Order: sequence, then C-alpha cells, then structure tokens
Amino acid sequence: MKITDAAVCPFPNGDSSVRRFALEAAALGFDSLVAIDTPSAMYGDVEVRAGLFIRNAGMKEVIAQVKRVRDPKTVISVKAGDAGFNRAVAGFRGVHILRGIHAADKNAFDHVTAKIAADNRLAIDIDLSVLIAARGVPRQRAIQRYRDVLVLEERFEFPLTLSTYARSVLDLRAVREITGLCSLLGMDLPDVERAFAGVGTATEPPVPSVRVVS
Amino acid sequence: MTVRPPTLRDKRRYVLVKVDPPGTVIDQKELYYAISDAVTSLWGDSVAGVIVQAVICAEGRYVVIRCRRGTERELSVALSTITQYRDAKIALRIIATSGTIDSLRDRMNAPSDTSSPDAPPREVRIGDADYEIVHCDGQKIDVIEKGFKNTHRLFLTRTDLENHHAATIPDGI
Repeated sequence: MKITDAAVCPFPNGDSSVRRFALEAAALGFDSLVAIDTPSAMYGDVEVRAGLFIRNAGMKEVIAQVKRVRDPKTVISVKAGDAGFNRAVAGFRGVHILRGIHAADKNAFDHVTAKIAADNRLAIDIDLSVLIAARGVPRQRAIQRYRDVLVLEERFEFPLTLSTYARSVLDLRAVREITGLCSLLGMDLPDVERAFAGVGTATEPPVPSVRVVS
Repeated sequence: MTVRPPTLRDKRRYVLVKVDPPGTVIDQKELYYAISDAVTSLWGDSVAGVIVQAVICAEGRYVVIRCRRGTERELSVALSTITQYRDAKIALRIIATSGTIDSLRDRMNAPSDTSSPDAPPREVRIGDADYEIVHCDGQKIDVIEKGFKNTHRLFLTRTDLENHHAATIPDGI
C-alpha cells in the first residue's frame, strides 16, 4: 500500500520544483505524489505520477482530453460539476478521480452517482487545502459536504483519495497531521489508510469479474 | 496567591515545533495570536479554553508550545491549519511532544546530518532573473529573486540548479 498525496502543483504552477516536493514528501512520510502537469518520474524513494486535471469542461471535452493522454500511468481527474455531469463522468471509465465535490452543488453527488463510481472504481477526492486554509463558513460547508460523501462511501465503498493541492512545499502536511485533519470528517485510522491508497485502487487495471478455470 | 502544590497543578504537555521556511523571524506574541486564532477558529472558544495554549520559547527555527495534557491532538490539528504569519507563508512542523521542556531541548540541539560540505554559489541565474540563495541544507536550496518587486521564494534542490546550468551553459552538456 502506497501513501499518496493525490494532487500537488509543482513549478511553474507553484513555487517549488517537483524534486523538492519529492524530497519534502519523503520526509513527511509519503511514498508517492500525483503532480499535476508534470511527467512521471522516480525521485529517490518517492514515485511521482503524472496528473491531468480537467477543469471547466463539458463531457465531450473530457472524453477528447482523456483520449489524448499517451502515458498509461497518468492519473486523470475531473472537477465536479452538476449532478448530470458527475454521473456521466462516473460512468466513463477513463477518469480516475472526481475532484472538488465540496464546491459543487449540494445534490451534485448523490447515491446513484456513488453506485456508478463504486462500480467503475472512480475515486472521490477529499481536498485538504480547504480544511487547512479556509476559515469559518467555507470550512464548515466543506466538512459538512465531505461527511455526506463519507456516508455514501460507507454504503457503496467507492475509493477515496486525499489531496493537499500544495503549490508550495509549505502547503504539504505530514501523514500524521493529515490523519488528524481527517478526524474532523469522522474518519478513523483504517479509513485514512485506505484513502491514502486510493490512487492505487482507482488506477490499477480492473480485475475481470469472471475468471476461466481450466 | 500562593503556588499550588504539584499534585494540585494542571498537567501540561509541551509540543516542539519547527518553523518552515528557515530564516523566519519568530515573535512569540504574534505566533501566540496566530495559534490562538487557529485553535479558536477550528475548535471554538470552549475547547480553546480547555487547551490553554501558550508559546513558551522560540529558539531559531524551533518553538515550544504548551497545552493541557490530553489536548495534544486538538492542538496539533489546529497547528497544521496555520499557513500565514505576518503576511508571510509558513508551515509549523510538529517534531515531538513531551512532558518536560528539557527533553525537547535535546531535540532542538540535535545536529542536522543533511548538511553538505560543498557550498553552492550565493547567486544563480534562472531564465532572465537573478536569484539569491537564502538557504541551503543538503539537497534543499531556497532562492529569492533579486529586486524590490516579485521577490517571492522558490524551493529548489541542488539537482535542479545543476540541471538548469547544464541546460543553459552552451558547453555544459
């Protein structure tokens, strides 16, 4: 099981190089990172996986962008929209992570989408930057929304991922600190461990439901 | 008021915290307000009243923060939500928790084993801009753009600078 931060934004999107991110992440207890718009590489003991984050796009644009991806290790994620869009994304097998649920409509992620996400192993991302940086009502709303997602996760068992969206190494948090932050959402240690391994779960090739025994 | 006997005193815990980025000048009072704000915002006044946080000392990059025993978890979660200090971006990295300040002092004085013997030059040129190296610790190198405007800090590694020079110096590759 790899402990993964599911989204960091290295230079030029942020102020830290991807090598520096890997160095700091190793010190903070991570095994791998998903770096947005950065090629996959291995820096020391930390695996950096390429990340594609599709924002503000319709379903056609999402399909077109996913088809353009050449590196099979790329982690593809889409920003959540309205209920219809999220349902379509959940039903499309090329996408690995649905992000920004806290910023979407209240009913944008319902039990039907949760069931489809579980069937297609689409992970739902928990954005820790909101819990860390926001204050007052935005943070309360995010906690409320994520608690709602966790109720559906308990029922349908779709994968979860944890992201810091760090644009600087100063935005990264240690594994223990993230465990503490997740306790605000009602997640216990096994839940957090599963969420850290969520990128691996969402991106590994599907196991066929029927196995031929000769 | 007379001092209470030890058995009647509150049990305390001390949290050792390292401040990132290096070179941040720490004013205990201002840091206390930042911590207090974070604790109150996250847990509310009632829990903040139980935690009773206080900044005990700040030495170099290290800060010792006191709290009531049993509230270390709440304090550490609140500490991880601190991102700003005096309009600058910071991160507080929790190193250890102890019942005495003495044992934390040992950790503060522990020598860093990541220092590198060969120091890099004090200035580097990246793209069209000149950068000054403000911190160097092993592989980690922090640079700040020279000048009055846009002097934000970049967090790089020694390998980044070497690769950059190899790519920009004509005979470098």
